[in-house]
Amino acid sequence: MQVRTYDFNKLAQEALEDHRKARGYNLRLFLRKKLAVFSTLVLIIIMLSAIFAPWVAPYPEQGKGATNLEERLQPFSGKHFLGTDIYGRDLLSRVIFGARVSVFGGFFIVLMAAVIGVPLGLWAGYREGVSGAIIMRTVELVLSFPTALVAMAVAVVIGAGTVTALIALVIPWWPWYTRLVQGEVLSLKNMLYIEAAQMLGYGRVYILLRHLLPNVLAPVIVMMLLDVGPAIIAIGVLSFLGLGTQPPNADWGLMVWNGAQNLLGEWWIAIVPGFAMFLLVTAFNIFGDSLKEILDPN
Amino acid sequence: MSSKTQQEPILSVQDLTVSFEGSRGVVRILEGIDFTLYPGEVLALVGETGCGKSVTAKSLLDLIPQLSRQRTGRVSFDGTDLLKLSNRELIRVRGRSIAMIFQNPQSSINPVFTLGEQIFRLIRMYLQDAIDQICKQQNLKQKTAIGLIAKEKLVEVGLTETDRLLKSYAHEVSGGMAQRYKIALALLSSPEILIADEATSALDVTVQAHILKLLKKMSQKTGTAILFITHDLGIAAQICDRVAVMYSGRIVEIGNTMDIFQKPLHPYTRGLLEAVPRLGEKDPLRFISGMIPDLSNPPQGCRFHPRCDHRMAICRTQKPIYKNKNGDHAVACHLYNAKAAG
Amino acid sequence: MNLILFTLKRLAGLAALLLVLSVLVFFFTRAIPGDIAALYVGGNAKPEQIEQARLELGLDKPLYTQYLRYMGKLLQGDMGLSLRTHRPVLKDLSEKIPMSLELVLLALIVAVLLGITLGGIAARKQGTLVDEWIKWFTAAAVSLPIFFLALLLQLVFFDQLGWFPLQGRLDSMLEFTHPIELITGFSFVDSLVTGNFTAFFNVAWHMVLPVAALTLGPLGFIARLTRSSLLEVMTQDYILAARASGLSEGVLYFRYGLRNALSPILTVIGLMVALTMLNTFFVEMIFNWPGIGYYALIAITSLDFPALMGVTFTVGSIYVLANTATDIMRRLVDPRIK
Repeated sequence: MQVRTYDFNKLAQEALEDHRKARGYNLRLFLRKKLAVFSTLVLIIIMLSAIFAPWVAPYPEQGKGATNLEERLQPFSGKHFLGTDIYGRDLLSRVIFGARVSVFGGFFIVLMAAVIGVPLGLWAGYREGVSGAIIMRTVELVLSFPTALVAMAVAVVIGAGTVTALIALVIPWWPWYTRLVQGEVLSLKNMLYIEAAQMLGYGRVYILLRHLLPNVLAPVIVMMLLDVGPAIIAIGVLSFLGLGTQPPNADWGLMVWNGAQNLLGEWWIAIVPGFAMFLLVTAFNIFGDSLKEILDPN
Repeated sequence: MSSKTQQEPILSVQDLTVSFEGSRGVVRILEGIDFTLYPGEVLALVGETGCGKSVTAKSLLDLIPQLSRQRTGRVSFDGTDLLKLSNRELIRVRGRSIAMIFQNPQSSINPVFTLGEQIFRLIRMYLQDAIDQICKQQNLKQKTAIGLIAKEKLVEVGLTETDRLLKSYAHEVSGGMAQRYKIALALLSSPEILIADEATSALDVTVQAHILKLLKKMSQKTGTAILFITHDLGIAAQICDRVAVMYSGRIVEIGNTMDIFQKPLHPYTRGLLEAVPRLGEKDPLRFISGMIPDLSNPPQGCRFHPRCDHRMAICRTQKPIYKNKNGDHAVACHLYNAKAAG
Repeated sequence: MNLILFTLKRLAGLAALLLVLSVLVFFFTRAIPGDIAALYVGGNAKPEQIEQARLELGLDKPLYTQYLRYMGKLLQGDMGLSLRTHRPVLKDLSEKIPMSLELVLLALIVAVLLGITLGGIAARKQGTLVDEWIKWFTAAAVSLPIFFLALLLQLVFFDQLGWFPLQGRLDSMLEFTHPIELITGFSFVDSLVTGNFTAFFNVAWHMVLPVAALTLGPLGFIARLTRSSLLEVMTQDYILAARASGLSEGVLYFRYGLRNALSPILTVIGLMVALTMLNTFFVEMIFNWPGIGYYALIAITSLDFPALMGVTFTVGSIYVLANTATDIMRRLVDPRIK
């Protein structure tokens, strides 16, 4: 017979938080919250710019790829905030247009991976049996190779381009979700309330949707949030290698590759888009961390 | 048994209050805890879940870092006030002079080290003199001496196959064996006090009986006083000399085991005793109506009054104080304060 | 006994995986557009020469025959000839791999040691300024795309500060004056062992930036993982029991609790190896480090299929091996896993 002491733990946790406040950790806590708020702001700004790119960018045509050779290789100036690249295109506009690929691409990959992976995981975890085994073997197989490498291989075979790169990235990405969900389902399946529902005669699909899915959702959402950053970087990697967005379209990875040649002279051409990627990914990670603390405080 | 109370207490807890500023205001987990522990005796600290008995024990040794700043009162041990000691000073007390065992013996053992590694470490910590002595006398290496001491201690608590035991891990031993092991660890340095926090609550009934017997035996052997925390009155009755009944952060009654069971004074104590079902009884189960108070918003006055059949007007407003505090049987209840005054 | 059985089972799985890998790699390289025979012969080849090359290379036979031929040769240690260098691919690889491994191993060792240390400190000092700094630093470390980081390091530490060299493994002058006698293939080790200190320091100097670029991501990741894992461990019953027996906080965190916290880190090391090997590709590209990544890059652009197959197969094998090793190590550290 167990005596539960949950009261104490909860109280102690509260004590710790208030203890910190009393000690003057106000500043840091505030900073931390401020950081979360700040990063959310950054995210919103970037996402809005991406959506409304043609209206937000100062030189939308250049953003899309039009050249402007008289003003090439210019550093930061009043006319071109972030300078121009080797074709004279305004870097700020290019970055804004490039955000479209990164932001939407990142979301797309994560969403598709979840859409494909989660149902498969639910099935494999709940049903087990032959179909479940096939699914899990496939998952293990794909996961035994590095994600980006598989994506690169697929991209090489199906051809370069923005859309093909995204598809190529979804292929090695979905198994992570299947594995996560299958694990969760397996452990939840043994919970008594599932047994009870089964004994009461509820159908399989009903149990899947009503009982299992909500409990599985929390870790899935956490994984999705934390995956956006890596997805954005992966897109950047493919584009950097030329397997993603093709010129003259704007894409951060592609821009870094182009700018690398002039690194030692006109460094901004490579550094600005790279920094944009860094900024976006950091913002997502911090945002994801804060949300994770709320959703799953353990 | 009364002769014991004539000695000098080994531990004297006076007006121990543990509280903190929660988001909902001040929460008083413990309010004015008073009790004494005499050398060699077994004192039970009995109460329902959430009454604060575990917090009391952990607060003595400051095992809850978050709450260290919000303790007031005085805990006299060996001439010093434990509440005033720094963490570094407390480290010398923990395990050596005051030891503690917990409810879940298997989860109290570090799963990635063998039982041997963990007991050896403590032996090195506490018993360096004994080790050196054995090494000199029998001309052995440190490691061998430590091994000998370890096996000896394990045998003392009734464990067999000590060689195999020392090589095993936490998940490979049963609950009973694990608790015996933990008792051996606790008594390594022959501490003056052993705190047993629900030490038998997670064990099977038969194993429980063995462990209780073991505790009693070891206590008599080493002269260690035991503070036995439990929610089970029956267990308390088995091995304890005195019983302290706790309710919602206060000790409401304290006395010899016989007195408490045969002449319970506090209505809560009475309620607890009556609630224990007896074989052959045809009356329906008796229980104490109501729920334990929310500690962030406790009842005014006596914390038990909402559930008390004998409550009076004064109970709503004033906290009862101990009557007969320094005698054998003390109680904190207005029923007795009034009589004493009148 | 359990451990041996476990290892054997894993090794069998490993062999199966490598087999699958070989099939995938083979058909993958065949799927890339490009005429192998034409490339082999080179620029201005006459059709007859291309035909002859095709026959020589066995490209006229059906795919599965080609695959079997390749596998047969592979098991004998023959990976074919590089279309570009016209040397055995195996020989090329055996030279290039240690050069890459130098960077990878050093980066991983630093990442693990520093990462665990930082994570442990952050956990111990939870809530203080030190913890906040470490959290910020690690958040940034995992958000940096490797190619950006490499370029940034070049820009700051070479262009702006001039502290470290831009590229390469050894100053070209030293290739002549103090050539490194290769024993193990690890220039770092060999130069030391042969007493060639000039070259040794020069190589070390060249290694700083590439290794820094490789180590930062895994370091940040491991640090964060260590921190959260350790904090979780410290809430366990056995920590409370240990504290009650008189252990100091420092010992509790670092000697007692850290052991328990390492398990998830080991799980992740396989992942880190994969990540780092992938990153080496970019780092070698940007820093002109003559390793396997660089070799692969040229193989891709020149469509050197045998080389490509060799590289992919080798890298894939290393990755799969690392994963298996991680599994075995996990089993050793946590006796609870059956």
